[in-house]
Amino acid sequence: MVTYKIQTVEKDSLFTRLDFRTKVLILLVVTLLAFLWDDPIYQAVLTVLILAACFAAGVKKGYVALVLAGMSPFLIFMVLTHAFFNDSQVMRLLEAAELHPFFAFPADWWLIGGLAATWEGLLYGVNVMFKTLSLILVMPLAIFTTDVDEMITSMVQARVPYRLAFIFSSTFRFFPLLWAEFQKIVEAQRLRGLAMESMGLAKRVRVYARVVVPLILGALVRSQQLEVVLQSRAFNGDPDRTYFHEVKMTWVDGVVIGLVLVGSIAAVYGRVRYGWGKFTVWF
Amino acid sequence: MESKAIAVFKEVSYQYPRSAGYALRDVNLSIQRGEFLAVIGATGAGKTTLCLALNGVVPQFFGGRFFGSVEIEGEDTLNVPTSRLAVQVGEVFEDPESQLVATSVENEIAFVLENLKTPREEITARIPVMLAAVRLSGMEKKHPHELSLGQKQRLAIAAALAARPRLLVLDEPTSQLDPHGVQDVFQLLKEFQAAYGLTVVMTGHAAEEMAEYADRVALLSDGTLKALGSPQEMYTAFDLLKENVLRPPQVAETFAQIRQRGVRVDEVPVRLQDGIRAMRALQSRVTICEPEIILPDDAPRGEVILETEELCFQYPDGTSVLRDVNLSVRKGDFVALLGQNGAGKSTLARHFLNLLQPTSGEVRFAGKSTRNFAVSQLAGRIGYVAQNPDHQIFTSSVEEEVSFALKNLGYAASEVRQRTEESLTEMGLAQVRGAHPLSLPKGDRARVVIAAILAMHPEVVIFDEPTTGQDDQGAQAILKVSAKLHRQGKTIVVISHHLYLLPDYARRAVVMGKGSILLDTDLRTAFHQVDVLRQTYLAPPQAVLLAQAVGLHTPLTPAEVAASFASQAGG
Repeated sequence: MVTYKIQTVEKDSLFTRLDFRTKVLILLVVTLLAFLWDDPIYQAVLTVLILAACFAAGVKKGYVALVLAGMSPFLIFMVLTHAFFNDSQVMRLLEAAELHPFFAFPADWWLIGGLAATWEGLLYGVNVMFKTLSLILVMPLAIFTTDVDEMITSMVQARVPYRLAFIFSSTFRFFPLLWAEFQKIVEAQRLRGLAMESMGLAKRVRVYARVVVPLILGALVRSQQLEVVLQSRAFNGDPDRTYFHEVKMTWVDGVVIGLVLVGSIAAVYGRVRYGWGKFTVWF
Repeated sequence: MESKAIAVFKEVSYQYPRSAGYALRDVNLSIQRGEFLAVIGATGAGKTTLCLALNGVVPQFFGGRFFGSVEIEGEDTLNVPTSRLAVQVGEVFEDPESQLVATSVENEIAFVLENLKTPREEITARIPVMLAAVRLSGMEKKHPHELSLGQKQRLAIAAALAARPRLLVLDEPTSQLDPHGVQDVFQLLKEFQAAYGLTVVMTGHAAEEMAEYADRVALLSDGTLKALGSPQEMYTAFDLLKENVLRPPQVAETFAQIRQRGVRVDEVPVRLQDGIRAMRALQSRVTICEPEIILPDDAPRGEVILETEELCFQYPDGTSVLRDVNLSVRKGDFVALLGQNGAGKSTLARHFLNLLQPTSGEVRFAGKSTRNFAVSQLAGRIGYVAQNPDHQIFTSSVEEEVSFALKNLGYAASEVRQRTEESLTEMGLAQVRGAHPLSLPKGDRARVVIAAILAMHPEVVIFDEPTTGQDDQGAQAILKVSAKLHRQGKTIVVISHHLYLLPDYARRAVVMGKGSILLDTDLRTAFHQVDVLRQTYLAPPQAVLLAQAVGLHTPLTPAEVAASFASQAGG
């Protein structure tokens, strides 16, 4: 069966009660911190905090596990790339003349002979890995804890053009339809003798590419039908309309926004003035 | 004083942009306040255009050439923006999927009201009233996708009526629904008419229901208003209906055939209850006896090809779809698999193709568990024709489409050529082999899909709801193909809820309800088990109900009911 909703949390928490705009601010500040700090310990703390917040907000463990499992090859590749290749940036950040290798390929190996991985590069890679994880994990924290309608109303109140907000909500409405159609088309191909189960990745990609034509044609027909329906429901894209869903900032939003802003100003000041979060190694 | 007409077409002609012909030609029509006007006509007769002209979308949204005028409540639709016409005219469309625009049931109702700047308090007050009226209370927060097709269509009606328009226009709103859904829609409209004096304009092919509920019937042909009259007048104008490839309700057809046999029938009824009364009146005058029907001895005696044993299926969320299904189909059988939407028919069919695996129990093809086959292997031996042909077309020419499967199955080039040729000829597609399949009319697209499946030489062909969304002619054409394949020795399974179409084709009926088999017998016996059919919300053909009204238990079709009068000619 197809899941028709984006995953939403079932638990009532601070995050479900916060206004979407507050959550967007948190998202921006996390992004800022992820770029501001280069210290792997700072980044690790940030990731752990976000992870804890995710669990507190009721984001399912299975989802987090899926993200971590899906991302792990990419993250490992990233850490190793920094360990082996990012010498110049790491040397500049540490103002060091040389780094400490912990592994090197034998010198007589073709192409990679003599290539060395350094402790400093490895740590910098770990820092980048946590940055990436923070940015990925903060998204479900903001999105899964918000009802789509509240998102739209908040966007409009935050002066996002109504037409844009409407397109955003239509995506949520029609994505499941497109997905169901995609599955039907792939199934129809299997029913014409296409042995998907014994296919390599490249062949599968070619099959999926062939699905695109009927899918797009279907979507075009649907979009014309949709336009007629919208006309019949008095839609004209005019932002001057009423909104059934009401969003209001509460004192909790005020407190959270205050804390987040003070925190981020302190973080920036600390970074500039005292070098908090600067990339350092302890050996 | 309020004028009697709510909408008036005066000399309306309309041509879509980049289109050669006119979609409407010189249409003059007054729609009376509070009436139910049925608009009938063959596919392409202009019914949808007429509906869209009522809320100004034609021509305001489409452009094109428009002559004459359409007035709603005395105002020319050309002078009123469509967004304001939405207050006066609500529209409901055919496809329940694509006309729901919001992400929850309550938002669907709120949408039009928000656009009309209705205050929030008023919207909040109106939602529960509308949902109660269409029997969807308690579903406020559900995503429209989670509703059944019938529920979706009821929601679309509620959304169209949220702004309290006085005219509701419905364009083929029941063509995708099962009989239960169809009844629900008609019943709902009747309630709205009684409560609010709503005017209803509806297009569609449901002759039986139109005759039952409509006050007047308008027949469109090639864009012109060919005839307009009461259901009694229109549905007994048999030649006119035939000319326009339309069918009368079975009750009318039955009495016309009775009359042809020389029995005096004062007035041919078009509504079932009138028909039942007329049958009983005839019974008091003439002797009616079970017609002599020679039943062909065609029970298949070949080996069992499809079989399930104690088959149960549950989705991971615990929803039980199939319960202890035991079924066996022999080679050469023609089985009608019947039941309302959600009864488990398609789920059962998908098990035969190994697209779904049983939660418990066993499914076998030709004596072997389907678990031993890959989907692609089974697909070559069990052809599956799904409902929407457009989801089954992926290539850019008819010929390529037909050879698609053969290439996948690894046949030699000469074999591919030969089978493609055979299949194209068989389905009458040789002339259009180079055309893009999607450029063909819907009926032809369905034939392309069937041709592509036949090229694999399957032993069994399963047609899943082939008649849904088709007009009578299209539905008959597909069933004729199934009959032809059956004559060639193939085993046929047709999944359907259009019972009146099946007597000429299927031999055996398997009736499903709530995931179980309620009945598995010959079609004749099954169609006369009216109570069992009603358990799964199936409507027996009117001919069966007329027969039963006078104690007959064999006739299935109007001709067979009429044959009960054979020896009474002149009565």
